[in-house]
Amino acid sequence: MIRARDLAKQFGHHRVLDGITLDLAPGERVALLGLNGAGKTTLIRCLLGLIPFEGTLQIAGCNVHTDGRRVRERVGYVPQRAPHFDGTLAETVEFFSRLRGSDHGAVARRLLDLGLDLAVHGAKPVRTLSGGMLQKVLLALALGSDVSVLLLDEPTANLDPRARREFLRGLRQVREETTVLLASHRLADVEAVADRLLVLHGGRIAFDGTMDELWARAGAAETLWVRVPPAMRDAARARVESVVHTPAFVSNGTAFGVRVAHDARADVLATLREADIRVEDFWTESPSLGSLLSGALGLPIDDSSAAGDRE
Amino acid sequence: MTPAALLVRREIATALRARWFAAYAAIFLLSGLLLAAVGGGDALIAGYRGFARAFAGLVHLALLFVPLMALLPATAAIADERESGALEYLLAQPVTATEVYLGKWVGLAAALGLALTVGFGAAGAVAVARGVPPGLLAVLFGQVVLLALVFVAIGLGLSALTTSRARATTVAVVVWLGLVALGTLGILIAFIRWGAPAWALTVWTFVNPIEAFRLGVVSALDPDLSLLGPAGARIVDRVGPYGTNALAALSLALWALVPGLAGLAVFSRPK
Repeated sequence: MIRARDLAKQFGHHRVLDGITLDLAPGERVALLGLNGAGKTTLIRCLLGLIPFEGTLQIAGCNVHTDGRRVRERVGYVPQRAPHFDGTLAETVEFFSRLRGSDHGAVARRLLDLGLDLAVHGAKPVRTLSGGMLQKVLLALALGSDVSVLLLDEPTANLDPRARREFLRGLRQVREETTVLLASHRLADVEAVADRLLVLHGGRIAFDGTMDELWARAGAAETLWVRVPPAMRDAARARVESVVHTPAFVSNGTAFGVRVAHDARADVLATLREADIRVEDFWTESPSLGSLLSGALGLPIDDSSAAGDRE
Repeated sequence: MTPAALLVRREIATALRARWFAAYAAIFLLSGLLLAAVGGGDALIAGYRGFARAFAGLVHLALLFVPLMALLPATAAIADERESGALEYLLAQPVTATEVYLGKWVGLAAALGLALTVGFGAAGAVAVARGVPPGLLAVLFGQVVLLALVFVAIGLGLSALTTSRARATTVAVVVWLGLVALGTLGILIAFIRWGAPAWALTVWTFVNPIEAFRLGVVSALDPDLSLLGPAGARIVDRVGPYGTNALAALSLALWALVPGLAGLAVFSRPK
């Protein structure tokens, strides 16, 4: 669906993309990762034909260089920050639906599925809508015309946790045959959407594989926090030690945390259940994407992605 | 509806919603009505008599308001959307950069034309009632619309060339001040101090759109009027009032195209 050969882009003396070659099949869900300035947004802008580049790039069989309009007919796009258009929500939806050749009713239904009723919110000026609502609008517009490729450029970066969850839930409406390319700084988003990861570094693809492969390469662990009744805490720790060979316990007073491998979380919870230890609450705290990439690929830790995700 | 037509319609709708549109139309309307109302009668006021006074008032009103009416929204047209990210999102749709630019150009021109028709039409009706010949008013209206198109093209071109609205607006106001100041003072200084050749003054008169507008409409009113100035009097003497008006219209038409096309060339060029 997406085919790039020796894709390169240079700004001044800085070569942001340096000979990218990749193939994305129909229906693939791919996350595009990398530190700030790695070229994620530049790659997406190349795919949309917004900037010139060296090399060849085809989407759904159309050459981005020579057939930009047809490419953009097949591509839906959700940017990091939704622009505040002039006019009302209904006018904006109608304009972009017509421009994309989408069925206005289909877009309205998509919006309704995302929890936004045009009949209720249509008369509101776009400038008054929240960032989360606007991102839903852009997602509905992108999906309204049954696109072949969906490009998401850090679409949840400016959303609060609830809006982020709703947006990610909305992504489940994407047709199976649509190829999704998600640029993101958030591990949780990547895990929710992607089954293949591409890591950009130094203008090239530094990693192409699955999340499990990246975790395995990093050897990184998450912190699993468990809250049990105080009287059961010692027993719980003993049970955990039986399944996690070198547990590193931490405590915040009401719960204890244990460093576990990415795929060992379920084992810990299962062993507590088997011992009839009542788990009052549990959650995981992932390392930041920056530290994961640092561990897996030796990239310098990027402060902008230093915050861990709590799920 | 084609993408180009959709973009034009969107631009007109945006302009009609904007505060500047209503404000400019209202200011132009009220000022025009006032000038037309007090401009009639035979009394000699400030050197003008009868309908010439109403006509001269409308000319000066147009010179004062129309360039700014056109410049300010035109400089914002691209720069604003570029700053907000709306432009990139728009260009990520199945449209070309040329269509987006032309949509803004045609839409802005149409919206301004509508504002001027509303404001000028009402004032013109009163002026006709007070004795201004309709044909003369039609010439003035045509030149006013051309003047507006000139500054739409300049503003849009600057909007495409500059990276921010603030910079585009600053450059636009400097251009406007330069044309107004150099239009009058430049000719006088060149003529008096350096004894500039007559052909140079003639060329400058047509190169400056403000001067071309002034010359075109005043020569249509009365080729003997002293406010034609030395260069204007010489031109009217050489090519006659109709020729002067046609040359002025040609100058304005070129100004209404060249800066806009330069902006289009830059905007459509791969970045």
